[in-house]
Amino acid sequence: MRKQESLTEYLDWPLFGALIAMLFMGLATVYSVAFNEAVPSIFNFSEKYGRQLFWILFALFLGLLVFLIDSDIYRKFAIPIYLATLVLLVVVLFMPAVHGAHAWLGVGSFGVQPAEFAKISTSLLLAKYISGLTVKQQTTATVLTASSILLIPMVLILLQPDAGTFVVFTSFLFVMYREGLTFDPILLKFVNTIPGVRYKETWVGSHFIPILFVLVFLSIITLLLDSVVLNLNLFGFVLELSGSSGVIFGLLLIYLISWLVMQRFSTRRERTRMMVVLTLGLLISSAISFGVDKGFGMLRAHQKDRIELFLGLREDPNGDDYNRNRAMAAVGSGGLLGKGYREASVSSLRSNHVPESETDFIFCPYAEEWGFAGVLVLFVLYLFMLFRIIVIAERQRAAFNRIYAYCVAMILFYHFAINIGMNIGFAPVIGIPLPFFSYGGSSMMSFSVMLFILLKLDAQRKDVLR
Amino acid sequence: MNLDARRNVILVFIFLVIGIYLFKLFYMQVIDETWTLRAQEIAEKRKEIFPPRGVIFDRNGKKIVTNQTYYNLMMVEDSIQNFDTANFAKLIGWSVQDVRNRFKEIVAGEGTYFNKITGKRTPNYQTIRAYPFLKELTLEEMSKIAPHLANFKGFYEIATSARNYPYKSAANILGYLSEVYREEIEEDRFYKPGNNIGRSGIERFYEKELRGVKGIKYIVTSALNNAIESYADGKYDTIARQAPPLKMGMDVELQTYGEQLMQKKKGCIVALDPTTGEILSMVSAPSYDPNLLVGKRNISANYPKLARDPNLPLFPRPLQAEYPPGSIFKLVQSLIAMQEGVITANTGFPCDKSLVGCHNHPSARNIAEAIQYSCNPYYYMAVRRIIQQGVKKNNFADAEYGLGKWYKYIRSFGLGGIFDTDVSGQRPGLIPSPAFYDKWYGHHTWAFSTIRSISIGQGEVKLTPLQMANIVAIIANKGWYYTPHFVRAIGKNGALPQFEKKRWTMINYRHFGPVIEGMRRVVNEAGGTGKMARLTDITVCGKTGTVQNPHGEDHSVFFAFAPINKPKIAIAVFVENAGWGGTWAAPIASLIIEKYLKGKVSDLDKEKRILEAQIAYQTNN
Repeated sequence: MRKQESLTEYLDWPLFGALIAMLFMGLATVYSVAFNEAVPSIFNFSEKYGRQLFWILFALFLGLLVFLIDSDIYRKFAIPIYLATLVLLVVVLFMPAVHGAHAWLGVGSFGVQPAEFAKISTSLLLAKYISGLTVKQQTTATVLTASSILLIPMVLILLQPDAGTFVVFTSFLFVMYREGLTFDPILLKFVNTIPGVRYKETWVGSHFIPILFVLVFLSIITLLLDSVVLNLNLFGFVLELSGSSGVIFGLLLIYLISWLVMQRFSTRRERTRMMVVLTLGLLISSAISFGVDKGFGMLRAHQKDRIELFLGLREDPNGDDYNRNRAMAAVGSGGLLGKGYREASVSSLRSNHVPESETDFIFCPYAEEWGFAGVLVLFVLYLFMLFRIIVIAERQRAAFNRIYAYCVAMILFYHFAINIGMNIGFAPVIGIPLPFFSYGGSSMMSFSVMLFILLKLDAQRKDVLR
Repeated sequence: MNLDARRNVILVFIFLVIGIYLFKLFYMQVIDETWTLRAQEIAEKRKEIFPPRGVIFDRNGKKIVTNQTYYNLMMVEDSIQNFDTANFAKLIGWSVQDVRNRFKEIVAGEGTYFNKITGKRTPNYQTIRAYPFLKELTLEEMSKIAPHLANFKGFYEIATSARNYPYKSAANILGYLSEVYREEIEEDRFYKPGNNIGRSGIERFYEKELRGVKGIKYIVTSALNNAIESYADGKYDTIARQAPPLKMGMDVELQTYGEQLMQKKKGCIVALDPTTGEILSMVSAPSYDPNLLVGKRNISANYPKLARDPNLPLFPRPLQAEYPPGSIFKLVQSLIAMQEGVITANTGFPCDKSLVGCHNHPSARNIAEAIQYSCNPYYYMAVRRIIQQGVKKNNFADAEYGLGKWYKYIRSFGLGGIFDTDVSGQRPGLIPSPAFYDKWYGHHTWAFSTIRSISIGQGEVKLTPLQMANIVAIIANKGWYYTPHFVRAIGKNGALPQFEKKRWTMINYRHFGPVIEGMRRVVNEAGGTGKMARLTDITVCGKTGTVQNPHGEDHSVFFAFAPINKPKIAIAVFVENAGWGGTWAAPIASLIIEKYLKGKVSDLDKEKRILEAQIAYQTNN
């Protein structure tokens, strides 16, 4: 193995640069939110910005340590690391609850959240396991093993309970999808028990992500239109539809249009096959829409309330919907150019209208102070980071590295999408931090370590063939 | 299986989410105003700053209405720490039990919300909210408490501005302030609950001129509703501006003196500057200190007392007491008769007591004597000539014609209606028109004999003291008047335009000579009824009157203007239940005239007699 000649030679500078920019913006926002006139110095650790600066420096130091260690150990020790994390996840359940969740491990004011580090160890083990497979080897056993690697920590995290991190773990499904992992072996077992059916693949098992999209999309549309009565005026013939029948009606229209397009542009042989697919699609979608509609009707009142609040069908700005309403007011009042640095009136810690505005809701003060222009900058930065990670992923020679990189990309994206979604009414309020932005040591350390492992793997990518 | 395509699925997914998010954010932040408004509602409070009300000066530049700073001692329950009840009680000079009771009282009183629609009071006490623990403390009271407040966390002082009346007089003119009603807030968004509004008098009439321009300060408030900082460094704030001062035509020294003279008596004094129509003084006795009605605490303590007082201090006598004018009406009748040409200045009538009662005096040979003797039969005959001019053959139609003419003359004196002026609360009095008697008796069923008592100012005729004082001003001016009014200038602007217009009566100036001569004789000739109004070096022209009072002793009345050649003051004095006009009203009028024209009073015995007199005034209430 080649000795490291220079730490910096193989470092991916664009990604590292984006990281530093993000850390700086995050620190600036924490400084603005938590600003205390009595202690304006950022080097004073009695204030949140002082501590955040410390966490950033400490995280970068951890990153340096990671960079000094040979990347080979991650693959070699993936299983022990994973098991150690599981132990911590079990131990943390016996710790006293903070804010109703047994999530913190530690003494006094210094604590870590094992769930944060479980993301890394799960990524490592998943990468190790999937990289050891070939597509043709996939059996029921391999699918179940891969799923278990996710499910065990997920269950432990749900016991804390920590719904946010639990949801983040579903990001690994994208990685599995990318790597061609298929649930077909399990599905086929069921499907092929039907007499006269002998499929080699179900298509559903391997394309579960696009199917998931369609499912979620259809459900949301159905729920949104649930209480609406649509009036369709077709050449003087007025058609009154309930919301869910409207969705089915819309699906039928799409079906007819596709059918007309197909008549025009496809050959006879293809047509038959695609007609079957289209018809099946229509039937299944309609069934889903119908099912969601009926299922929603059977929910309990408080469950309905939750869903209606989330979808914005009901308003309760001072009660159940307090957090989101205040957060949206803060973000929405930012305007095009914002209110100016340290001028956030709704979301500063002093005004305290938006709870947790230095941690989970840190996007609020940022958007309020910098407006849409600032939001655009932040989005571009995040997008750049994600794309850079995917670029890094795709240039890896070792499957382990690639899979790990995808894990990092998807975790970061999930955090980004859910956290900002919370601020604009697109996601339910589940407390997860905005990576590299939110105040807090645990998330800062775990995200940095996660990213530096990737940077290290990338730096050593050429070693694989030597 | 080609898995590279799946990378694109993920990329499309990420792009889609980012795209939708950006679209939504652009909509929320740039296009949709809803959230901006919501944020303002939540965190950006408009705080309105009310300037102190405009001050008021009298005609000589003396400050008669000023503002004084008062203090409220506020408390916020959540901020109170280690409260030492005993020491606090000692500090404010209360008992410990009183302090404890006050806390309970706040919860049950200020801490409730009164719904005016349902009329229900519901508890609304909040421990994070500030409530006044002590209200309307003076600077002296506060200066004893303030240095020690640091020891009592949760208590602090706030300053408020309240009216102050250094002369302690003219309460009936200036009016008072009280808290706005809900309807007033709805009508005019200037006000906020708890603000004061002019409730009567000058304070009410010039409310808009006195209240000034309120300032608006935008502040950022926290979730606990505390102000944390000014919004956008005060970029959008506006400054509160106090209204320019009002200058009144009133002479505050004269007003105060008049109130002193009228103490322990009921009645009123109205003094006008005939050359401008400015009201120099308007006393409504008994009077009271306007400082009694400053602030909620004072109003709730003193207003009921004043309202229950049997001497009716709150009744604005100069404006609302409608008396039959009595003898002063003879002056007006003389003028109308001469203008109509039914008599001349030298027409004489015998004092025929068979027509109407009279006292013993020689028969009047001319108008001046008729006024001097106040001869009732003379006016019976003179006014009959006005009413029954013999133009129509039908006696009733003739009376209708004559009274119609008479009515127009009277109206030109500004009688029978209210003046369009800044004097609020006027009553119109009553001047009977032909239509009035038609309604009363029926068409063509009345003639002079039916209505004869109006000729000497009795019967249906009723005038207010202000109207009567204006008659004197018209005579002093020989035929014209300016609308009686209080305020001569608003800041650097002049008075209201309607005060600048000279109003002419229908009487030619030539006819005033004999009337004025009669009035001169009333005061200055031997045997004149108004000799008690005589002054050594000022020629006072006057007329006594006795207003018949069916409920008791007659009212003593005197009208005068002075000096005779260049009149500067016209005055009407009423003393209720004081009997004959010459005894009490005349000397009071002369003291006022002398005080106004010379600045001091020479006849101290006269003054002493008046000050000591108590007439029909109930001391114990």
